[in-house]
Amino acid sequence: MNNEAIKELLYKMADDLLILGHRNSEWTGMGPLLEEDIAFSSMAQDKVGQSLALYQLLHQLGEQDPDTVAFTRNAGQFHNAIITELPNAEYDFSLVRHFLFDTADALRWQMLTRCAYTPLAQLAAKVRGELRYHTLHANTWIKKLGSATDESVSRLQHSLDELMPYALGLFEPSPYEADLIADGLFQGEAVLQQRWLAAIESVLAPTHLQLPDVVLIAPVVGGRQGQHSPHLQPLLDEMSEVFKIDPAAEW
Amino acid sequence: MVHSLDPRVGRLPTIGTPGMVVPKVPLDQLGTFEVFVQPKEGKPFQHEGIVHAPDLELAYVLAKETFTRRFTCTSLYVVETRHVYVSPTTEGGVSVAAVLPAITGPDGEPLSFELFMLPKRGKQHVHIGTVMATLPQEAMHRGFQQNLHGGKTVYNLWAVRTTDIRFTTPEEKELWLTLPEKKFRDAAEYKGGDKLKAFLEKQRP
Repeated sequence: MNNEAIKELLYKMADDLLILGHRNSEWTGMGPLLEEDIAFSSMAQDKVGQSLALYQLLHQLGEQDPDTVAFTRNAGQFHNAIITELPNAEYDFSLVRHFLFDTADALRWQMLTRCAYTPLAQLAAKVRGELRYHTLHANTWIKKLGSATDESVSRLQHSLDELMPYALGLFEPSPYEADLIADGLFQGEAVLQQRWLAAIESVLAPTHLQLPDVVLIAPVVGGRQGQHSPHLQPLLDEMSEVFKIDPAAEW
Repeated sequence: MVHSLDPRVGRLPTIGTPGMVVPKVPLDQLGTFEVFVQPKEGKPFQHEGIVHAPDLELAYVLAKETFTRRFTCTSLYVVETRHVYVSPTTEGGVSVAAVLPAITGPDGEPLSFELFMLPKRGKQHVHIGTVMATLPQEAMHRGFQQNLHGGKTVYNLWAVRTTDIRFTTPEEKELWLTLPEKKFRDAAEYKGGDKLKAFLEKQRP
């Protein structure tokens, strides 16, 4: 097994989940209705929990402990896709991001249930219930609001158009793509993107939303190599505030 | 307009209309749905509470985190509030069976109904079984005839058409797979009192 290849895969997944988990948790206490506030916060917590599990696998492969990895790196050392770090705006933006990201995330984990690196395959089997909920939540809202009123449709469409180039950045190929495929670790970003597109299309089909033509969109890439938007560093500063004052603090 | 990276600043609602005095707009409230939870395999479903939602499917989605994000859960279902039929309530050891009006109304094709009894005032309604009937009232009578209440005093009885319920599918049972590990959501597990005490001890000179 190519350790560098698996580490690269683990890092980008963990960083995606930690950063989006943190971003989505900013809605806690401010969700559009109480029940949705609770659901969105719970899913954010799930994401942070999944990132911890992945950082623990990395620790077993010789990387530093999860807290050090999560709280002491700078933006340039993070491998999350840029879509996960973009600041929240109106709720429609966060909901569409949740739909686009979680569809890809759930499919990635599903592919990893057959990963040759057993600890990751076991983790993928374990979190499948959480992922089922995340996609059920996203799909149900998108189907509902995607055919509800002129305002809900135009809001979602606007966010969809805005987020699509960033969503495509989730599938930025890894330098180890060939190794991952050859070693039976992961079927690759191209296969994932294809499945993702089919899944997105089938959810959007019964709605009034139009999927932008992906052939005409230039994906926003760079996140996997540590090239980020100006929005990531302020997020990291806030997230690591307590850790930097007292690394042993429990709260 | 304040520009800030903090999303909470940009999200503050606008209040009032410039140059005008206008009546306050009523709140846009969603309908309500009743939530039933099965805490453990083999245990009956019990009424856990109510959620606001735009439709039955979203009620299911929102009920999952509102009522089953702590403790244990193996299954969940929801029904629109207006689809729950409620018997008269009794007290002092008198069973609903004694005050239930006689069956009236035309005969029709029998449908499946779920029955939920209140075993004690202030407790939750608990599922006691399924009966075939044409009307909710008839379903309640059938429940007593079949002794679904096990001879206990029933203080209140609910009847719900089975087809009005959004159940958990067999595949969806995995939704609660990792729930037993989420102890951090349990206030008792967090031991807030101990943490506070330790902190205060540390502050003492």
